[in-house]
Amino acid sequence: MSAFRSLWSTLRKLAALFRRDLGVARSYRVAFVLELFQALFGVAGFYFLARFIESPQLERALPQPGGYFSFALVGIAFFDYLSVSLTTFDDGLQQARQNGTLENLLVTQTPLSVILIGSSLYPFVLMSLRTAVYLGWGAALFGFPLGQANWLGAILVLAASILAFVGLGILSASYLLLFKRGNPVNWAFVGLSSVLGGMLYPVSVLPKWLQSLARLVPVTYALQAMRAALLGHATLRELWPPLAALLIFAVVLLPVSFAIFWWALRRTKITGTLTHF
Amino acid sequence: MERPALLVENLEKYFPPAVTGWRALLHLLPRLTVPALRGVSFEVKRGDVLALVGANGAGKSTLLRILTTLLIPTRGRAEVWGFDVAREPAKVRLHLGYHTGADDCFYARLSAQENLLLFATLNNLPRAEAAQRIAELSDLLGLGSLLDRQVRTLSTGNIHRLGLARALLHRPSVLLLDEPTRSLDPLAAAEFRRFLQHRIVGELNTTVVFASHTLAEVEQLASRIAVLDQGRLVICAAPARVKATAGADSLEQALEVLTQRAPGHAS
Repeated sequence: MSAFRSLWSTLRKLAALFRRDLGVARSYRVAFVLELFQALFGVAGFYFLARFIESPQLERALPQPGGYFSFALVGIAFFDYLSVSLTTFDDGLQQARQNGTLENLLVTQTPLSVILIGSSLYPFVLMSLRTAVYLGWGAALFGFPLGQANWLGAILVLAASILAFVGLGILSASYLLLFKRGNPVNWAFVGLSSVLGGMLYPVSVLPKWLQSLARLVPVTYALQAMRAALLGHATLRELWPPLAALLIFAVVLLPVSFAIFWWALRRTKITGTLTHF
Repeated sequence: MERPALLVENLEKYFPPAVTGWRALLHLLPRLTVPALRGVSFEVKRGDVLALVGANGAGKSTLLRILTTLLIPTRGRAEVWGFDVAREPAKVRLHLGYHTGADDCFYARLSAQENLLLFATLNNLPRAEAAQRIAELSDLLGLGSLLDRQVRTLSTGNIHRLGLARALLHRPSVLLLDEPTRSLDPLAAAEFRRFLQHRIVGELNTTVVFASHTLAEVEQLASRIAVLDQGRLVICAAPARVKATAGADSLEQALEVLTQRAPGHAS
């Protein structure tokens, strides 16, 4: 098969897997609508918390204008991308095991890596929609400053962040393939990132040694760049350093994680535990 | 000379021992010491129907899973349509259809048609060909009125027919079935056997390998029977020859003799 046909075939498969998840989600319509309103409650909660704690001193400590509400809203909305990246491959694998489709998927002419990537598309699109709803509620009701954002920069940061996070997600799925439950990869990255990444406070408030550790976590660069793009109106040139850091994470993590995933898959085919859960 | 549809040579499969609790942490890469298949060899000609027979744990499902590329053999080799299952799994899957007796192997909240379209795409069928193939198979299997219904609303028998349609979507040369009538009622099982015999084997000349505990089904469908016992192949021959070798009148009796489980046999 030519490279073009192979690429076209892979894209069709990814689209089919996306349609599958969309079809399943459409059969639970009420849950989706409720989630939009749940986002409203979350945004309102942070708005009033921000009003309660806001002070000139806090304002000065933030890296961008817009107040603590805007700072925290971007942090929460985009930290969720890390969570989704880390869990989506695990969830895809676990669901296929539990609903009995894994063996049938694996005997098709589609590699498991394509199946897992295809299964992650819907959660990422849903996450993006949820983020848009978060920011939309924030702008419509609580004064989140959307007007002057660098949207092209934000989209580039989001793409680079997802590439960097996906490597971690595939590592997490490799662990799940081998050990089935109790995923420390997931636990360690979400835990460390929530403390070090600057979700609810600037990294500058951490002790110096923790600030050094924070540089090893991709979410730090993702949140720094996303806030700069959305709140600081940074140009692409100004966004380049954190973008480059995210791309370095992606270039290192993606091949390593795919190699480990391939090894884990082979190992489970040797031990006969591929479909166990 | 025409290559066989399936070739299995000195196939061995060992699994790691089951270790649970904290001991599992000490055995991250356990050694493969529990035998499931021990030097199994046989061939299946194109268009033949082979039944895998044996007690629970004899190695039938392990053998089928190796042939479907879901397991990697420990030693020996297996070929499907001339392609090695360990070295060329993607090419093997081009020629293979696989269906188990499980009835929970679809996306229950999608329609039968949506499920079939998904698996057709994952098997590289272009959209138009997939639609045509689904129409053909639904005629063949009597699925027409069920295609728009969510799978969760279908009966077990209909889910089986849907499973068979899925396995046949990409026109496989070899069909592997693991206990295909396990959860069917007697009438649905009989209908399934007729369909397999007349349409799949008779008209499409598909090579079929199936594992079953139902000996009447084995006698009705199989041109040859492979009897497995504790991972070893005891005999692979036509049903009449299996009975003659054991000096038995029935297949059940032949199995008892060949696997040394006959009443009064000292093991």
